[in-house]
Amino acid sequence: MMTQTLHASIPQEPPRLTGMSDAVFAEVAARLAEVVAGASAPPIELTAMPLTSEDRADLEQRLGRGEVFATIESAGRSEVWETQFSGVWFVRHFGENDRTASECIEFGAAPAILFSHRADMAAAARRLATALQPANAHETTDH
Amino acid sequence: MPQEPKLAPTLGELLQERGVSRRAFLKYASYLSAVMALPAGSATALAEGLANARRQSVIWLSFQECTGCTESLTRSFSPTLESLIFDLISLDYHHTLQAASGEAAEKAREAAMAENKGKYVVVVDGAVPTKDGGLYSTIAGVSNLDMLKATAKDALAVIAVGTCAAFGGIPKARPNPTGAAAIDEIITDKPIINIPGCPPIPEAMAGVVSYLVSFGKLPELDHLRRPKAFFGETIHDRCYRRPFYERGLFAEGFDDAGARQGWCLYKVGCKGPVTYNACATLKWNGGVSFPIQSGHGCLGCSEPDFWDQGGFYRPLSTNLREMGPALAGAALAGAALGAGAAWASRRHQESYQRDQSAAEGDKK
Ligand code: SF4
Repeated sequence: MMTQTLHASIPQEPPRLTGMSDAVFAEVAARLAEVVAGASAPPIELTAMPLTSEDRADLEQRLGRGEVFATIESAGRSEVWETQFSGVWFVRHFGENDRTASECIEFGAAPAILFSHRADMAAAARRLATALQPANAHETTDH
Repeated sequence: MPQEPKLAPTLGELLQERGVSRRAFLKYASYLSAVMALPAGSATALAEGLANARRQSVIWLSFQECTGCTESLTRSFSPTLESLIFDLISLDYHHTLQAASGEAAEKAREAAMAENKGKYVVVVDGAVPTKDGGLYSTIAGVSNLDMLKATAKDALAVIAVGTCAAFGGIPKARPNPTGAAAIDEIITDKPIINIPGCPPIPEAMAGVVSYLVSFGKLPELDHLRRPKAFFGETIHDRCYRRPFYERGLFAEGFDDAGARQGWCLYKVGCKGPVTYNACATLKWNGGVSFPIQSGHGCLGCSEPDFWDQGGFYRPLSTNLREMGPALAGAALAGAALGAGAAWASRRHQESYQRDQSAAEGDKK
């Protein structure tokens, strides 16, 4: 008698390239050209696009990796890297259980998530000022 | 000189005290923009809107329900991206989650209503029994019907979470002994958003509340008051088994060769072609899977009266006579998309009807 594991009986996404990665790749080229011409270009949101896992792998492989890779720890992990095409950035946010929560391609000098926000800088400046006050410097030794 | 009333801190300020930076807002906004398919580049505006908004008071009422909707939302209760929703709202009343009980709990609801008059959001899960004055379900001696009317009176908006609150759901299934009704059959003078599903997808709930907090308005809704961002497409539109449907390749049972090869589940009762929901894209349990990926057809749980549509395992086309014209039209349009599929499903329907007549003949 032939036995089958439960897992083998669960059908998975049919593996295939649909041509979507070609379309996105062409769009990347068009948007980077706009940025080079002095305009701004909105990000390409990949999360909800009907890309198969093969399409995603193909796109990621064609964009490649450049000189910068960063990990961000804020409400979970995020990874950002510059692709082999300068000014084209891949941003991937992770959610629960390390699943990809969202991913997009951004264009420009750096993706928005890498910049420090003015409000955070202001809060940091206040914290630094507090830390510099003499009363606080003695805080740990006063009893 | 009279003192200016001190404004509550913004969400940005509040979370900053707890070490949450604006990057977290941007990340959360990117995630929501992606799942809500907001226009490209709107993540920054959403993040700024959230950071500058004040914590939204939410009063959550649970009526004729099974607590599955609360379970669904709280599944993501870990310090991650998905749980940020709980930092954006002040859950001022919720039977299952609040520590207070009895009179103290009811006082908390009344206090939240008084303090946030005209600004709080009421979330309801569960249908409302209306028969015999609504006596079939009471909380603290007050009928659900009276509690809903009193609480919604000064609300900014009402969000009906789950199919029971949105459309009456299982309590309203025939013969509906308690006269269960949907929220929008009772509350008619407030903005209402329906987030159906049994249970609803947690991202839909988080997305709608965040949108409301950030932009101060309702997201775009469909004719059943469902946010289009999550209910704009059918399961069938985004189903990964769709190529099999188009080629007329159907599983005929749950353990036949077709089922093992992942063929379309239309003939074993899948309601994906007439069900508007985001399960096929957002999936469940942190994006692990959804019913069709686990080998079972869609039950159509986010549609009105899904429980009374003639059987979960009967192919859709055999139920058309029992459906409303709109649903039947959608099913036919779905079937018409693939000529081969339509032909195959017609053939299947004929053979199904033959079997049915034979079975009925045997009974006589
Ligand atoms: S009928 Fe159901 S299983 Fe088949 S393609 Fe449509 S949604 Fe998927």
